[in-house]
Amino acid sequence: MRKILLVATLFCGAAIPANSQGDGKPNAAPSGGSFTGATANFAPNAPAGQWTQQARDYANTRYSPLTQINKQNVGRLRMAWSFSDGQMYGHEGAPLVVGDTMYLVTPFPNIAYALDLSKPGAPIKWVFQPNPDPRAIGKACCDKVLRGWSYADGKLIYNLLDNNTVAVDAKTGKEVWRVKLDDVTKGPTMTMSAFVVGERVYVANSGGEMGINGWFQALDVKDGHTVWKAFNNGPDQGMLIGSDFKPHYPWMVGKDLGVTTWPGEMWKQGASAAWGWVSYDPDLNAIYYGTSNPGPRTPSQRPGLNLWSAAVFARDATTGAAKWAYQFTPHDEWDYDGVNENVLIEIPWKGARRKVLVHFNRNGFAYTIDRTNGEVLVAKAFGHQNWAKEIDLKTGMPIVNEAAHPYVGKKVENICPPDIGVKNWNPSAFSPRTGLLYAGVFNSCMDLTNHIVQYIPSSPYDGMEMQRHAGPGGHWGEFIAWDPVQGKRMWSIKENLYVWSGAVVTGSDLVFYGTMDGWFRAVDARSGKVLWSQKLGSGITAAPMTFVGPDKRQYVAVYAGIGGGAGVLRREKGFMPGGNTLYVFSVDGMGIGNGTTQLISQAGAAAPVSVPPAAHN
Amino acid sequence: MRKLVLAFMLLTSPALAQVTAHSTNPLEGKADAIEAGRALFGKMNCAGCHAYDLTGGMGPDLTDGSWQYGAKPGEVYHTIAEGTPRGMPAWKDKMTVDEIWQVVAYIQSKKQ
Ligand code: HEC
Repeated sequence: MRKILLVATLFCGAAIPANSQGDGKPNAAPSGGSFTGATANFAPNAPAGQWTQQARDYANTRYSPLTQINKQNVGRLRMAWSFSDGQMYGHEGAPLVVGDTMYLVTPFPNIAYALDLSKPGAPIKWVFQPNPDPRAIGKACCDKVLRGWSYADGKLIYNLLDNNTVAVDAKTGKEVWRVKLDDVTKGPTMTMSAFVVGERVYVANSGGEMGINGWFQALDVKDGHTVWKAFNNGPDQGMLIGSDFKPHYPWMVGKDLGVTTWPGEMWKQGASAAWGWVSYDPDLNAIYYGTSNPGPRTPSQRPGLNLWSAAVFARDATTGAAKWAYQFTPHDEWDYDGVNENVLIEIPWKGARRKVLVHFNRNGFAYTIDRTNGEVLVAKAFGHQNWAKEIDLKTGMPIVNEAAHPYVGKKVENICPPDIGVKNWNPSAFSPRTGLLYAGVFNSCMDLTNHIVQYIPSSPYDGMEMQRHAGPGGHWGEFIAWDPVQGKRMWSIKENLYVWSGAVVTGSDLVFYGTMDGWFRAVDARSGKVLWSQKLGSGITAAPMTFVGPDKRQYVAVYAGIGGGAGVLRREKGFMPGGNTLYVFSVDGMGIGNGTTQLISQAGAAAPVSVPPAAHN
Repeated sequence: MRKLVLAFMLLTSPALAQVTAHSTNPLEGKADAIEAGRALFGKMNCAGCHAYDLTGGMGPDLTDGSWQYGAKPGEVYHTIAEGTPRGMPAWKDKMTVDEIWQVVAYIQSKKQ
């Protein structure tokens, strides 16, 4: 009887989330069950305690099956150890753990560290300093960040801000190869996380505001040579668009649309940079990634659909041949990049199961798209937006509100969301246990005045002048749970500032995320109830992760080092000073790295002296 | 004759005298120069990096009174003309001496 009562109380607790906004129906699932029936393929099925890629799996779920830290003991999480890497630009990536070693890479100047988790204090095993070209500093739009790094084939592989991809021997910290992929003096940089599948490393450039021509390429893991390269604008040939290319909607079918949907030769500065995440489906042998805003940001200068900006691509992972694409925001007028993560899951749909990708777009709509053919099944607003009435599922086109069109030299007030979106690159997480996605989101709007811009190489090809303000309710951010089948919120937690951290969800139904005012939280994945909060030394704009140490203990780790695009709120109350500390938590703070006696570190290398970079964001 | 006049004008143009760290801005405080500087700040894409209100973005805030490369008008001129090692482009090939002084005048007018 007691047990039943307890279950009933727990269930009620779940049904009436403490922080619910009330805009989603109360949870309908039995406690312990899935709300949606959605599942995922967790290939490459890394051992439960390890974290070898940024999103843990190819599908980009950021789901960890670990359960040692659970709802009962999560309130006892304390710091086990921490590590400051000395670099002051924004920290965005998640640490990787392979065997007894943790791998970290700093923002510019992109120094890599290997830490020995088997020794007290997790001392430095080796340090690798790639010394990238400092001219890259002035070209990176949104701070001098790196969104992650990959481990594969005994190597740590990552991008340098100056457009080199580098592979470092994971045992020795010595450079194995380095390939230069673009010219920093012309404006591009590289900030995305290299993504590895088997023999291939997938990388792309950044520079949506710099009038670059975006590309995406597959490199060989062994020596870094380019296996294939696809541009994101321009003639079909350079884009690897051939007879296999079958977009679902007719308006995206035609020859050389990457040229003809632009005036003259403007596609050459059309940006469409793939600076976000890559995912991979082993059954379809397909990779998925999105493209940025078109250049210039002032839309009246580039009448046309501006394909293939603000779009998602499905490509054959081996050859690069495009399979289909879908443009989220045709002729983007607001800087709604399409680069956010594509989470690959399977959902029940009209009596069958469909392989889909779920994508929270900057434009405020969460898309559930059949990833075999590019058909949009669900497109619903996941936060506050007013630029579009809806996405017409027959055509795949948004129905744009007249009041949201910007003008040159005239201020248009209250367009929602602003350039920064309802969500940015900060990656969401998916739990197969709840069938829900978890994402940090933004609640804000802009007053927008456009300017005509000229293309001057290595300077911004931009033209948007805006004032951003908080949306309805006055809070800038939220953390939400999302049903990708119904297209609705299950619960939401309001936060003072944008929630610009990634998320991780575990097998014990805990979701972790951080806030820009420095709170790291654990939340009940079913109810949205906050179970634990810890204030850290800087705002959190990085992705958390969880792992098992050599002592068989579960840890949760996150960088506190505010920066990146989050700098747009630097004048808001609560915005914290920069930082560079990785915090590692365990139940009661227990671990190899602490105790009541004199513990001694046995380090393998010394950190370089960190020179504070110039004081710009 | 034309040439002579031109040479004379160039010689007497205060802007052309060698710009040093100690040079004062011949156009400082002049309303038409400030207005021309404002237009150039947009036209040359300075605003894309430093924001239309000069408070910074990709590049630093130019209104906060803190100067990495020197606060004197001659130093600011030099930074704009020559660029910097950390990615501020050089503008001496894209703007005339007078235009750079106009932009400096605009930046000076925005100091908090
Ligand atoms: C591509 C981006 C970019 C463009 C375009 C750009 N700047 Fe800069 N600017 C920077 C960066 C980055 C710095 C800081 C450089 C450093 O730390 O070395 C800077 C520094 C400066 C400084 C020195 C500030 C100090 O603290 O000493 C001035 C003055 C300046 N810029 C003015 C301009 C003007 C005027 C223009 C247009 C003619 C312009 N900038 C265009 C990126 C840019």
